[in-house]
Amino acid sequence: MTADSSTEQTHAEPGSTESIVTCESVSREYSRGQGGFRQDEIPTVTALDNISLEITPGEFVGIAGPSGSGKSTLLHLLGALDTPTSGQVLISGTNTEGLSTRQRARLRAKQVGIVFQRFYLLQSLSAQANVAVPLIDHGIKKRDRHNHAKEILTQLGLEDRLDHKPGTLSGGEQQRVAIARSLITDPDVIIADEPTGELDTETGARVLDIFETATTDRAVILASHDQAALDRADRVITLRDGRRQDDE
Amino acid sequence: MVVVKTMSDNNSGTEAETDTDRDINTFSRSREKRIFTLSAFAITRTLNRLRTPGSRRITLTLIGVMIAIALMTTVSGVALGLATQSAVQGDNVDYWIVPETGNLNTIAVSTEQTRLGDTHRFTSRLTRNDRIQYATPVLSQVVPVQTQATTNRKYILLVGVIPPNGSNPTIASLPTTALTSGDPYFNSNRSTDAWTGELIASQAAVTVLNASAGETITTPGTDQTFTIIDIADSELQTGVGAAPVALVHLSELQAITGAADGDTASQILVSSNDQRVRTTIEGIYPQTDVVTRTGFAGQTVSTSSLPVAMGIAAFVVSLIIGTLFTATTMGLEISHDRQFIAILSAVGYTERSIGFVIALQVVTVCLIGGVSGSLVGIGGIYLINTFLARTLSLPAVGIIDLRLIPYGIMTAIMIGVLSLPYPVWLARRTTIMEALRL
Repeated sequence: MTADSSTEQTHAEPGSTESIVTCESVSREYSRGQGGFRQDEIPTVTALDNISLEITPGEFVGIAGPSGSGKSTLLHLLGALDTPTSGQVLISGTNTEGLSTRQRARLRAKQVGIVFQRFYLLQSLSAQANVAVPLIDHGIKKRDRHNHAKEILTQLGLEDRLDHKPGTLSGGEQQRVAIARSLITDPDVIIADEPTGELDTETGARVLDIFETATTDRAVILASHDQAALDRADRVITLRDGRRQDDE
Repeated sequence: MVVVKTMSDNNSGTEAETDTDRDINTFSRSREKRIFTLSAFAITRTLNRLRTPGSRRITLTLIGVMIAIALMTTVSGVALGLATQSAVQGDNVDYWIVPETGNLNTIAVSTEQTRLGDTHRFTSRLTRNDRIQYATPVLSQVVPVQTQATTNRKYILLVGVIPPNGSNPTIASLPTTALTSGDPYFNSNRSTDAWTGELIASQAAVTVLNASAGETITTPGTDQTFTIIDIADSELQTGVGAAPVALVHLSELQAITGAADGDTASQILVSSNDQRVRTTIEGIYPQTDVVTRTGFAGQTVSTSSLPVAMGIAAFVVSLIIGTLFTATTMGLEISHDRQFIAILSAVGYTERSIGFVIALQVVTVCLIGGVSGSLVGIGGIYLINTFLARTLSLPAVGIIDLRLIPYGIMTAIMIGVLSLPYPVWLARRTTIMEALRL
């Protein structure tokens, strides 16, 4: 599939057996330091080594592994934030290899929702406005953006927090706002990096409930050290030293 | 059920799909709509950040641009004042038509410079204009003269004019009142019978010549003579004291200096109580400049080049300093605001969209700085005028012209546009993984 055709992508059907995210023999190496005069003298470190996986719509996939095992690197690749050194990553049928930064941004805008451990909300905006931020670059009018954001926040139980700034929200509320932001473009896949890392157990469980429900229509890929989070996943991919250890 | 494909669900019913629904579902990226929504987002965020504490760099940028524009506006106002001689603005405004390369500084001492020709004809054409009170060619020439009682030649500056009828202008600080109005020698087709020989000498001239009123003065090499009909104090200075200067009729000076051929003069003085007449004057004589001043060479010298130079210098300095300052402070702001850029990038904003948001933030800050700077600058002109009036009793030196406000705003926008490359480059260098520590 060509890069340009990514703009014409349709969402994967729930329950479809067609994979929504595919990794084929993916490796990612990073250069370390400047090296010598010769290019082949630059030392590299392998963050991911020959990873293959397929994720279908409706799946809730956990990624486990100790620090430095390559969880974040894999999430970057699955979220079109980075491209592999070798191998292929296909998101909703689009191969991310060879895409320009602009094309990858468009792919993220339409097919990928990202949830961070630290929420990363814009402090000067209300919860409603934060959720609506992704729609601005689609040229959607403010009133319509905010209506849509309100609709999602209401379903996440934040209807009385619409006008609150992030600083006045609890950690759980902020994470729910962040999840609402990732959902507003109705993506095929949601990438979540330690989404419960900053939350207490009870709040974390509520956030995981939301992710579980969200998999009805899409795939959720969640990297975590939290066993409670991994226990919710349909399957867990465990990484160690950049290699895949098992697929439960 | 958590929102999932909510809009699609809604649309599956009987309700017609709205444009907005289609936009959300198909991610319509209408260029105009995107520009509009991104612009509104960037401007709103900039205004919000200006209102909230902790955005010192943006506030600093705004203040920097404001100061640059305020100084430029004030200096431009003063330059405008000099250009239009606001210090002497009254009912009468004098214009001097000088050759294109002419300079009022030099005409008193230079005899070989470019001159204007056919001056009587052009002057009579000018005087037919109702808005012009009078006009006269002015020929200035340092001429050797001597009195009949002495044989030593002395050099004095003779200034030839056509004394207007009904007006008594002061030229070279000497009143023309005593001279017969018009130019009888020229009007009689240079008949010797019409030679008046009238000469109004400055005090310095009679001292140099050791002459007195009524005495006859000759010019070596010619048969013509002049008679001192009046003596007046002249403020014309040479740098070492009062200049020996005398007024005569234009055609008579032309006759003794060889300037009659071609009817030449150094310049033409035009007096009017209507400043709009300037455009008329500018078009009447080819290859000339029209300058404004109130006296004659050597006194309160003011040429058009000084205010223009001041205005250009103020503009260039403001532009350069404002651009460097804005680029630096907004660069710092972008470095500090990397998380914002990374969040936009993570949710799918393209580099171009982010660059547009950053650019609009910079230009918005500069625009606000430009508006406030222009107003402060106007206030500066007012304060300078008030200060000079109260402390030194001087008339206004600066002009408060409302056109300075759009001028300041446009310059501020230019500052914003010129300073864009650095913050936009910094924004493009921001990577999501680094900024969000993923």
